[in-house]
Amino acid sequence: MLARVANNLFWMGRYIERSEHLARYLNVNYFSSLDAPTELSQSRQFVLRSIMYMANNEIVDKDIKLKEEDVLYNVGLNPENQYSIIYSFSCAHENAKSSRDLISTELFESLNRINHSIKGYSPEAFVKNGLYDFTSMITQFTSELRSKIQGTLLHDEIHAIIMLGVYLERALQLTRIINSKCSDYSAEEKLYKNKADTNHQWSTLLKCVASYDMMRRFYKKTPTKITTLEFLILNSECPRSIINCLNQIDKNISILAKTQKITKDSPVFLIGKLKAEFEYKLIDEIDDNIESFISNLITKLVTIGEKLEENYFKISDHSSKTKPVAQEQ
Amino acid sequence: MKNILKLPLFSSYEFDSNFYDELFIKNNEVRDIYKTLFKLFSQHSVSEFDQLNNKAKDSFFNLGITFQVYGENEVQERVFPFDLFPRIIDQQEWATIESGVLQRSKALNLFLWDLYHEQKIIKNGIVPLELISSSVNFLSQMKDVNPPEGIYNHISGTDLIKHSDGNYYVLEDNIRCPSGVSYVIGNRTAVKHALFGVFNKYNTQRVVDYGANLLEIMESVKPKGVDNPVCVIITPGVYNSAYYEHTFLAKQMGIDLVEGRDLFVENDFVYKQTIYGPEKVDVIYRRIDDLFIDPLAFRADSVLGVPGLFSAYKKGNVCLVNAPGTGVADDKAIYTYMPEIIKYYLGEDPILNNVHTYHCSRKNELSYVLDNIDKLVVKPVDESGGYGISIGNKLTKEEIKQVQETIKANPRKYIAQPIMSLSTHPTYIEDSESFEPRHVDLRTFTLLGKDKDYVLKGGLTRVALRKGNLVVNSSQGGGSKDTWVLK
Repeated sequence: MLARVANNLFWMGRYIERSEHLARYLNVNYFSSLDAPTELSQSRQFVLRSIMYMANNEIVDKDIKLKEEDVLYNVGLNPENQYSIIYSFSCAHENAKSSRDLISTELFESLNRINHSIKGYSPEAFVKNGLYDFTSMITQFTSELRSKIQGTLLHDEIHAIIMLGVYLERALQLTRIINSKCSDYSAEEKLYKNKADTNHQWSTLLKCVASYDMMRRFYKKTPTKITTLEFLILNSECPRSIINCLNQIDKNISILAKTQKITKDSPVFLIGKLKAEFEYKLIDEIDDNIESFISNLITKLVTIGEKLEENYFKISDHSSKTKPVAQEQ
Repeated sequence: MKNILKLPLFSSYEFDSNFYDELFIKNNEVRDIYKTLFKLFSQHSVSEFDQLNNKAKDSFFNLGITFQVYGENEVQERVFPFDLFPRIIDQQEWATIESGVLQRSKALNLFLWDLYHEQKIIKNGIVPLELISSSVNFLSQMKDVNPPEGIYNHISGTDLIKHSDGNYYVLEDNIRCPSGVSYVIGNRTAVKHALFGVFNKYNTQRVVDYGANLLEIMESVKPKGVDNPVCVIITPGVYNSAYYEHTFLAKQMGIDLVEGRDLFVENDFVYKQTIYGPEKVDVIYRRIDDLFIDPLAFRADSVLGVPGLFSAYKKGNVCLVNAPGTGVADDKAIYTYMPEIIKYYLGEDPILNNVHTYHCSRKNELSYVLDNIDKLVVKPVDESGGYGISIGNKLTKEEIKQVQETIKANPRKYIAQPIMSLSTHPTYIEDSESFEPRHVDLRTFTLLGKDKDYVLKGGLTRVALRKGNLVVNSSQGGGSKDTWVLK
């Protein structure tokens, strides 16, 4: 497979996954805040800030009053914004377009149809009353795409590369969502100091990653900080836990690495090492210092992404000697 | 006649006896071959047909069989206009077309070999030297280069029309990068979905085997010493208007679609950059024009090509499909010599007619052309896509003068032909909610390889959507139709 095309497929997987997480975070946070138990968690400013933090890692200044329509538009349908859902999906589509000879017609047709639907969605309708409709549509669409990736592609290197993109992005998004909700929780805790029920933040977190029902089935108790984090970080049976993502990345990188020699800075080695760490981690160790755990994990995941690029996606520019000028196509 | 015109879907059909209408003979009687199909169409109400038509358009849109229109603020995607009424060609008529286009392609291949080697045809006085020496498409770099298995035009697109006399005429040969074959297959799929019932009543030749045949042709022209050739298609990139076709063909053949930056040349061998490092490439179907394939050999400012590719080609280490320099032979001035070229190389009479052509480079013919602009189609010899054409009976007096001046300024650049009356075919016009006759032509696709040739049984029927218009090119607002060749 061409290195350039592999890169496109990897990013297609990443952007599809990113669109879904953004959409679900927007949906769940917004709607669960409407009847949240505390004044803070019900406050529009609080939830809008949480959305901005998750989507763009942006801590909005205290003095700035966010406008709801602007935030929703910027995260949902602003094509200029690199963190918007529409931007993410259009990147997924562009990446698929330049590798459409390798993916199935069924997958490309879905991607193309979905891209048309998103582009045709009216921003006015979206900010007025389409938030639920639009974000649910995105989560449905992305699951359709995943099923086509699973069900219509050859499970060879191409599939492995797309899944690497999907799971690496999922691990990163999960980490960011956990981070964002932990920070909402701390803010609420600081304000109410055990005088109010702040555990609702954990239910919201679980819903943001489509794991609420399964978590209830597993623990048969109301989610708390410890059980939620344990479920989302260390439960390998939960398809949306970090350890599960690491296992999937490991599985897919092995398909790709096949007989390649494993060196200590190859992606296959790094992912194996990270996976091994997680297998013997205890939730108490994480809970003691969640912030450093999260920043550490993000750094490691980003490094794995970079190593993948270096090992498989890089194309050397053999034409640089001639220094050609751009030509109209 | 009355009965037909009463049918809502044909209420605006204005039969014009000056043209060969493919559906109706005089007195508005339906031709035998179309009777079953016509019956099916006539059963639809306007709204039912509208629905079918829209569904077909949606399927093109969702499959991304589109082109882009660049507006002020945004890029819009549009589907290529497509008409659901298929054109039918019977077995016998097709046999003539098939043998005729194959004959032309073979003759053109021998002509190219000769032009880039001994030039016997010029020495024997059949084709004048100035025609070649003045052609911008003659690539001096190709002189004495031997393409693998001696094939230049692996892929030829021949444009044919059916004149009012009921005979086919060749309008032009396209042996650089003829495009459109993906629409042949896309149109077939759309028509199958919309009119599945009627397929049971017509025994139609398949078109879907084009990709498999093209791959066989490509593999047959592998460089010497290669057992299992690695074939690729090279595209200028996603913004090229034919990008859909490039991906389509790559997918049909299961080979990589590469861009210039995916390839590099080392020691006169070509490699593609894969996830596991470089892999040698043996045959390249290039969808990039000659001058852009290699910045070291041709245009230095090309970023689409691969530095060193031409040198690898000259060494015989890689095969280019089609060979560079084929443009010299599909020039509209060369076209006029095709009957002589066929006779010279194959010792046969041409199977398909040429349209009579006047060369403005010849003095006596020039004066005829200048005096009869209103009766002629004037074409520049080296333009494609229907550009620069003037059709005499559509011109004002002022415009005729302008054309005369333009020709006088550069006679070598122009040829003229009598205005041919392209046949008409029923085409659904959304504005009038009815079928109307529109002019059509036919592009066939012929493949040549080592000990193998192939003609796609069908081809692309292109239709000029504007009333009375004769230019069918998609860049000039043309659409297309599925073409059925009967077994």
